Amino acid sequence: MTRLRILGKASSINVRKVLWTCAEIGLDYRREDWGSGFASTRDPAFLVLNPNALVPVVEDDNGALWESNTICRYLAAEHGRTDLLPATPRARAEVECWMDWQATALNGAWRHGFMGLVRRDPAFADPAGIAASLRDWAAMWAILDGRLGTTGAHVAGAGFTLADVVLGLSWNRWLMTPVEARPAFPAIDAWYDRLGPRRGFHAHCGNGVP
Amino acid sequence: MITVWGRTSSVNVMKVLWLLDELGIPFERVEAGGAFGRTRDPDYAAMNPNATVPTLVMPNGFTLWESNSILRYLCRTQAGGNAFYPEAPEARADVERWMDWTLASMNEPMRVLFWTFVRTPEAERDMDAVAKALVAGGRLWRIIEEVALADRPFLAPSGFSIADIALGGFLHRWFALPIERPDLPRLRAWYERLLLRPAYRTHVAVPMT
Ligand SMILES: N[C@@H](CCC(=O)N[C@@H](CS)C(=O)NCC(=O)O)C(=O)O
Ligand SMILES: N[C@@H](CCC(=O)N[C@@H](CS)C(=O)NCC(=O)O)C(=O)O
Repeated sequence: MTRLRILGKASSINVRKVLWTCAEIGLDYRREDWGSGFASTRDPAFLVLNPNALVPVVEDDNGALWESNTICRYLAAEHGRTDLLPATPRARAEVECWMDWQATALNGAWRHGFMGLVRRDPAFADPAGIAASLRDWAAMWAILDGRLGTTGAHVAGAGFTLADVVLGLSWNRWLMTPVEARPAFPAIDAWYDRLGPRRGFHAHCGNGVP
Repeated sequence: MITVWGRTSSVNVMKVLWLLDELGIPFERVEAGGAFGRTRDPDYAAMNPNATVPTLVMPNGFTLWESNSILRYLCRTQAGGNAFYPEAPEARADVERWMDWTLASMNEPMRVLFWTFVRTPEAERDMDAVAKALVAGGRLWRIIEEVALADRPFLAPSGFSIADIALGGFLHRWFALPIERPDLPRLRAWYERLLLRPAYRTHVAVPMT
């Protein structure tokens, strides 16, 4: 089997999901810098791998794959990591539903605030839009805080899973965004401390990059 | 019996009803969401903290939300489900990538188009937002035309799957909304192929409300 090829700059939150997952699995890979600021994803050589012109993309003997959450699940399944992605339907569904939640509810909430405050994108500069986004974002964290209060451990239950990878990165982004009034989320704080010792956390999640 | 919470007009509820019907599984449905409310009641919040529909309740009491996760869970646990969701990791990833893509990319432009034309009075419609959504949507449907359907009848190489179910709701809206569409013949043929399925006609390809 040839070494896994990962296309995508290491600063992208969706690329970092894949890098952290690889670290958890102990998977060797070769990463190339693609995406804004690096090689253009509109390059025909990239578009044949991912017609969406987005990073990450991974390529192995089975071909090219895109969509970060799908990639993480694929890698865990290929390497038999049923701790990261449980085999029993019910436990697996708990992981997947929080991954889908990250991709929809949570991702939809932060964009305006983050683009305005961190990326300083003029299209997202209006204070009212930023304030509304920060409110929505905090409302999402309240839901996760409730969940972690119930599990008392990790997002999907007792053990660390891919749901913790994708939501850990999202929480790091929140911590790195200059939000003035931060509501308290004690269960999330305790959970995030629990992620610290994980392989790959310091390299790819809590690494000072929003 | 399996219970599905959620109004039939919700595109995410439609996916679940469509799959249950494809699998021939009887179910009970409870109205919730939109004008039916209920989603902010404490008993509902205990099942689904997002105040959204659908929520699935299994006969053993297990509850699950997120429509795409529900589709995968049902395929893993119900007789016949394998046919729509192959087991090998790479075949599975070929289904899942289009499901995640639907959530991440297609949701937003199709939400704008649907809300503008179906739920917003004509005088209040933001036609600049519509123009942007048409460009974004057109670009995405073209990816389906040129990549997903380039050499096969359904989105995944394994055949008809829950990837088609996840995107089929937006597909109907794309063709049913009063908008200008680029000419995408393979997309149209895929829509017509789905229309041959009784469960799609019953739950998804229905008048928009
Ligand atoms: N739903 C996709 C989203 C991927 C995405 O939006 N990637 C961004 C970076 S985080 C990107 O490629 N932006 C364009 C670029 O950097 O050129 C996934 O999860 O993989
Ligand atoms: N990502 C979720 C989204 C669920 C969602 O947003 N559902 C909408 C209807 S399509 C909803 O519940 N809206 C509020 C309501 O109907 O009261 C899923 O796929 O299940």
